Amino acid sequence: MIMKRLKATTAIVAIALSGTMALSDGYGPFPVTLQGYSGDKTNTVSYSGQIARHVLEQSLKKLAGKGNGGGNAVDLEAQMLSYFNGSDEDLPIIAPKSKDGFKIKQTSLHQISKGKNISGKFYDGAMPAWPGNMSGKDAAYNMIAMAAKSNKGFDADTGYDWAQLISKYTMGAMAYNQAVDNYLDEKLSAEKKPNNKPYKDGVHYTGKEHSWDEAFGYWGAAAHQHGFNPNKVYEIAKMKNQGAADKNGDGMVDLKSEYVFGPCYYAAAFDRSGTKSTNYTNTLFDAFLDGRKLITAAAGDALSDSERSQLKGYAATIEENWEKVLAEAVFKYAGSVYKDINKMKDLSGDDLNKAYRAYAKHWGELKGFAMAMQSGKSNLGATATKMNELMGFGPVTLNNSYVTGMDSNGNFVMDRKRSWSDYQLHMLKIQQMMVDQFSVKARVNDGLNDLQALTDKLDSASSAETD
Amino acid sequence: MDDINLIDFFLSDFINPKKRVFSGYLILSIVLAALWLLFIKQQSFRGALKKIFDKKILWSGSAKADYKLFLVNRIFTFFISPLLISQVAISTAIYLFLHSVDIFNQNLFANTPTSVIITLFTITLFVVDDFTKYIVHRWMHKIPLLWAIHKVHHSAKTMTPITVYRVHPLEGVLFSLRSVFAQGLVIPSFLFFFGNAVDLYTIVGVNILVFFFHATGSNLRHSHIDIAYWKWLEHILISPSQHQVHHSIADAHYDKNFGAALAIWDWVFGSLHLSENKGDVVFGLDTYESGKEGKIKDLYLDPIYEIARIIKIFAVRIVSQALNRLLLIKNLFLAQIKKNRS
Repeated sequence: MIMKRLKATTAIVAIALSGTMALSDGYGPFPVTLQGYSGDKTNTVSYSGQIARHVLEQSLKKLAGKGNGGGNAVDLEAQMLSYFNGSDEDLPIIAPKSKDGFKIKQTSLHQISKGKNISGKFYDGAMPAWPGNMSGKDAAYNMIAMAAKSNKGFDADTGYDWAQLISKYTMGAMAYNQAVDNYLDEKLSAEKKPNNKPYKDGVHYTGKEHSWDEAFGYWGAAAHQHGFNPNKVYEIAKMKNQGAADKNGDGMVDLKSEYVFGPCYYAAAFDRSGTKSTNYTNTLFDAFLDGRKLITAAAGDALSDSERSQLKGYAATIEENWEKVLAEAVFKYAGSVYKDINKMKDLSGDDLNKAYRAYAKHWGELKGFAMAMQSGKSNLGATATKMNELMGFGPVTLNNSYVTGMDSNGNFVMDRKRSWSDYQLHMLKIQQMMVDQFSVKARVNDGLNDLQALTDKLDSASSAETD
Repeated sequence: MDDINLIDFFLSDFINPKKRVFSGYLILSIVLAALWLLFIKQQSFRGALKKIFDKKILWSGSAKADYKLFLVNRIFTFFISPLLISQVAISTAIYLFLHSVDIFNQNLFANTPTSVIITLFTITLFVVDDFTKYIVHRWMHKIPLLWAIHKVHHSAKTMTPITVYRVHPLEGVLFSLRSVFAQGLVIPSFLFFFGNAVDLYTIVGVNILVFFFHATGSNLRHSHIDIAYWKWLEHILISPSQHQVHHSIADAHYDKNFGAALAIWDWVFGSLHLSENKGDVVFGLDTYESGKEGKIKDLYLDPIYEIARIIKIFAVRIVSQALNRLLLIKNLFLAQIKKNRS
């Protein structure tokens, strides 16, 4: 009895302690450590450029669904490009926008940061997952042009959902790529952006402080979400819980620090669903936070080799878990596509068209995330080749044809057919691949789930008895 | 591992309703045996008790060996079972295969009422499982290499419910694989054609049919209580007495009644033998020297030696046949040369 009480008390104290820690232990503010700094700045955390880019991506996604079948193609493409390439003018924020019960502080880009674009920070290596032998950036331009010509961002013939493709791909080709292949990679070396010098002339933060902050900005977490339950993080991104988002209580959600963007949103979404056995949201946040504390603790000295190797350890945790989140997304949407096909098999007429639209949306997310995975630091090699082959350039469409390439005029070629069940098999294989290669654990929409559940229920050992 | 875990580790089968020796089934078996002896065999209450808890049987050398094997095999299972292929692996492979065959239409029967799907699945699983038990058991008797292993089980001279564990670890492996294969085949096929409504009717977490098999005295198969069924029923279900016939050393009982729960397979494949009611049958192996049935070391190692012997004989035969052929070719060759010269 006494033990029980003691345990209960300990638990309460622990919860209370962790509660206060969660409140006080956000990402920033962190003090100025730059030696010889004489200005009046007190906080060195700064990643508003990344927030601006997340906003550009979300706005671009909204625009991708605004086509009217060709009539507004020229204007729409120009408008989309102003968000992709950036603009000297102040652009309105198209998304995320205030709604009832969730007021957002900023309404235009310059209120966040000036002179930012997506294209300058976009993966531009080879992108074999997209037809036409394009570079990563050209694939994005191709999608933008196609989206502008489409009807509400959807092309029924090819099954492409442009808004989903562009947005999910950008989450990888910009955010994931910049964080893991730039800020957490080269910029952690001893020579580049050292900690005993300002990041650039005239700023009050050191090279390493800012490099780390930039990566954190790309991750898209709210600065105060430390220790949050994934549901709460999810609700902030979905604009359903202003109370959780509005840290300073000014009645508005500041996109610069209080909102949750794409990459982090997906981590929370996987933590709260599927097998509920993952903790991506907090693992990544803690790694970012611990790394930043380590840099701050160096007090403006250049990092020692051991400090840098510890920092690289945190970076490795970030990279590994971020990749897993993308793999979980591929797993989830391969499962969605699988289920959608089952639904479509029984439908016809309008119901079928509706189901096909949902299928195309899920496929767009699947493809976008698959391309995102291939725009990081590590070369996925044979895994990528196999994944692209299984997924194809496009989904199997209503007449069983699918995009197999692009002709010299830039038109999609659809000269082959595949059966629905064959394509379902491919989806299961993709799921299996995500398990084998990336050890995904959340496993949302697991196509083999029923199999596993029944097998567990039967328990083979029970029948090992012989006579 | 502390004390509690050790007890749990060794005796968990007695509290697991998926196992034949679950204490509930054992108690039911005692009740059944008592009813049989009292009302059918017209024995006195004392007589019945004495027969059920016969010290000479429960503590015979053979039975003591059963108990030791039960404990030692537990350790073997613990180390071996993780190495075996899992049902999930087989199920997944078959499930993927079904997708790749275009003429197979997924969810073809998904509109079948759920209760029908569950009933079908429950029965199919039981029947397929039982049939593979029959087949593998038959092989254990007919194939010398496997008989070397299965002999361990048949060396029992007295039988108690624990005799079901009197098996060589290699037999345990074979039977586990059989189970993995049977279920790995049925589960994905049902899921593919019937969709995710597939489920099992269970009682205390056990397939309802398996539950009835155990609750109606499956433990008495390995006992001296010779409960027999009506003749017509013994064509469908194997009675305890029929399984005792399977363990008998009498010539007339040789290679009979391989079935586990269902007698149908024996009936169809000509190995059925009905119970006889001729008094106690003698269990064991007539080829076994007396006293050996209680020696643990021999029970584990003899099968290995015998397998080695069989393989050696086989290898020698192959090699000598090959040599003979070479010799023949050589002689023909020489004869040809001679002929050419002359």
